[in-house]
Amino acid sequence: MKASRIVVMVIVLIGLVGVFAFTAGEPEESVVVYSAGPGGLARNIAQGFEEKTGINVDLYQATTGDVLGRLEAEADRPHADVVVLASWPAAFALYQNGWLAQYEPENADKLNEGWNYDNYFFGYSASALGVVYNTNEVDDPGEDWGDFTDGRFRDVVAMPDPAQSGSCLDFVTGYVLNYGDEAWELFETLAANGLEVAGPNRPALDSVVTAANFVVLAGVDYMTYGAMAEGSPVDMFYPESGTVVNPRPAMMTSWSNNPEGAQAFLDYMLSDEAQQFVADEYIIPGRADVAAHPDRVGYADIPVLDLDWDWMAENQGEVLTRFQQIIR
Amino acid sequence: MRAKQTIRRHGNTAIAIALLTVLILIPVVMVLLRSFTVDRVFHPLNPIRTILEGELAEVLFNSLQLGITVVIFTTVIAAPLAYLTSKTELARARWIDVALLIPFMTPPYIATMGWILFMQPRGVVEEYLPFLSIFQPLFFSFWGVAFVMSLNLYPFIYLVIKNNLIEITGSLEDAGAVHGGSFWYRMRRIILPLLLSGYSMGALLIFVKTLAEFGTPATLGRRVGFYVFTTEIYQYTRMFPIDFARGTALASVLLITCMLIWYVQQLIANKYKYSIVGGRSGGRKMYSLGKFRFLGWAYIGLLLLVSIGVPYWSIITASLLRFWGADITLANITFDHYIELFTPGTLGGSSLWNSVYLSVIAATIAMFLGTFLGVLIVRSRGFLQRFIDSSSLLSNTVPRIVIVVGLILLWNSPWLPATIYNTAAMVAVAYVVAFLPYTVQYVKASYQQIDISLFHAAQVSGAKPGYINRRILFPLIRPGMVSGWIMTFIISVRELVASMMIRPPHIETSATFIFRQFDQGVIPLGMAMAFTTVGITVVVLLIVQGGQKQLGNG
Repeated sequence: MKASRIVVMVIVLIGLVGVFAFTAGEPEESVVVYSAGPGGLARNIAQGFEEKTGINVDLYQATTGDVLGRLEAEADRPHADVVVLASWPAAFALYQNGWLAQYEPENADKLNEGWNYDNYFFGYSASALGVVYNTNEVDDPGEDWGDFTDGRFRDVVAMPDPAQSGSCLDFVTGYVLNYGDEAWELFETLAANGLEVAGPNRPALDSVVTAANFVVLAGVDYMTYGAMAEGSPVDMFYPESGTVVNPRPAMMTSWSNNPEGAQAFLDYMLSDEAQQFVADEYIIPGRADVAAHPDRVGYADIPVLDLDWDWMAENQGEVLTRFQQIIR
Repeated sequence: MRAKQTIRRHGNTAIAIALLTVLILIPVVMVLLRSFTVDRVFHPLNPIRTILEGELAEVLFNSLQLGITVVIFTTVIAAPLAYLTSKTELARARWIDVALLIPFMTPPYIATMGWILFMQPRGVVEEYLPFLSIFQPLFFSFWGVAFVMSLNLYPFIYLVIKNNLIEITGSLEDAGAVHGGSFWYRMRRIILPLLLSGYSMGALLIFVKTLAEFGTPATLGRRVGFYVFTTEIYQYTRMFPIDFARGTALASVLLITCMLIWYVQQLIANKYKYSIVGGRSGGRKMYSLGKFRFLGWAYIGLLLLVSIGVPYWSIITASLLRFWGADITLANITFDHYIELFTPGTLGGSSLWNSVYLSVIAATIAMFLGTFLGVLIVRSRGFLQRFIDSSSLLSNTVPRIVIVVGLILLWNSPWLPATIYNTAAMVAVAYVVAFLPYTVQYVKASYQQIDISLFHAAQVSGAKPGYINRRILFPLIRPGMVSGWIMTFIISVRELVASMMIRPPHIETSATFIFRQFDQGVIPLGMAMAFTTVGITVVVLLIVQGGQKQLGNG
């Protein structure tokens, strides 16, 4: 008989401990940050900010699609103070909804040219796309996108699915914008040569690391440099006909309950310390005066396509549909 | 005194109805309302219209095709196994039933990840079993999704068929044999008809479970471009661009389909019920496999290898690799990922802790609430009893993703003055709502076994109701309560869809962590978490059951 009480008491006790742990969870006056992009970087910046200012950060870390979905679902009861995305056009969509507040963070004058949208959102960092190849399997990777259409690369070239990778969609759209029909011809030739289009960015890169594919077109650069640093047999180059550099935008919301905290967070994102975190992850720093990681190509040396983000935002749906028709 | 008791009972009934209405009924009704009304006008065909206009007919077709295929696959897998363990000398090997708990206890998304790691290019198959790589294109298609889901679900239908076969006593078969029926004739005219009711129940259960499953379609299905109800509901309610009209339309159709199937199942169960348990029960008729026994063992061995060996081997080896894709050599083996999970402050460590404490809270609340409801259901009569009974078991019938969408619609409504949405409490509430039926059922079952005369004896001896509850009722339903607690804990700690859809910004659980690491991050770290989560559920199961046994003896 006593035994039964012990069981019940133990369970109640565990429950109470749990309730305690869970009510102690949320302190007041924190900055709520929804961030896409590499988890390590988002956490480093959040921790650095907490240490420096003593302001607590509630970090929601997910993909860009996830963050946008969450913002939309919460539109009636918004929550986020700061939003960080991995796609420039996505920030533009939020701006058009009227969800962003204007603020000029400290050091904004040092940003790369064009990486500040009227103080609504600014590129605190950027990633570029390139050709990633397995160094064990490919000795002579060539110099441009078009070098992967011959028989040597039959059935071993892959590309992330633009429907699942925003950066890849930006590349396809940007390339079409610059080269028109020539771009479509390239995609058709690649498709005829057995181009595999599947998955988001990370699995595409993994397939080259494991030599399931020898080459990934439009692979994300910082992931590749990260894999190289881990000792994986991969390398990459930026094709000479140009590629996409996608500034990763940071912004504060118009509904923020804690605008001072949000502003402090944006200031911190452009501080020397946070920009160094960016560089440490092999990502291109947003500030022109902060050097990229010594093991990677700097922003100035990457051949960039002429990008018109407004045109791209408008036409990417159509481009995606046509691209998918070619692939399937 | 009697009047006072009646008042209290009415009070309890009212509380139960209020709780169930807020927790379960309103969310489900909100999903239906949202999908059946456009601009406040109700139309019975709205969800179908939304689906057709939204080019979602393919999703509908995909789901049905998957459901039917999985029913066929599980039947083909389970029927020979059930025959072997009920009608032949292999029935003595009781451990088989225990071993089959493993695929059943493995969360589908984890098993699927194991299979993906096994089959994917430069995975285990290509490296060590190259002759199997011809199956690779087949696996990364609809067939792979159906195959992996079948390996997860076949234990259900196996148990159903096996129990049915055991019930068919030898005398029925002997009667057939005496009248000159051959083996196949007896199969066709005696065993199969008797199996039908049980089997159709099992098959419909599998069908519903397949339609409602999120884990496998989300891990493998999305990778190969195969989209079903659950993944599309998730897409439309959680990912950019959000479209609640389509999301809830799909959710309603899924909900109604599942409800209809349950209804059909009840009809079949009532119609084709033969009373085969007479007064005298003869022994089971057994067949000897003779020299073909090794074939029976080979089949069982292969099945266990495929449904347990393959996924667990891939998960464990992947979790020990320094980075995914490296060769399995001593230099590449590391326990770092496990160490990270148990280091406070890391993302993995806090995710694991979140899952554990949220599940403990949910299990504890579900245990008390479920006991309250279960006792009330057994004690009351009439319409209200049936109402409480069916609404507290509703989460069993309604696919989890639909309930979760309902919870979001309700708790995130703009008209609520205050809400727990976007707090950790919401996650615990979702677990409680989703898994409440377990405790209710277990408590009901243990209560119904108590002989009423025990209560009468206590009353005659002058015991007050509180005393009776404390000294007779609770000790006797305790096993039911504890089972409910364990079950709720085990399922919550690994729950994927509710966690993914409802977690507040700063809370990550073990399941969402595994999912994200597998999709975008460090695969070995995710697999270490997967193995740890399954390990925790097993350890908790053993500890609590061991404790139960000790208490029972002492």
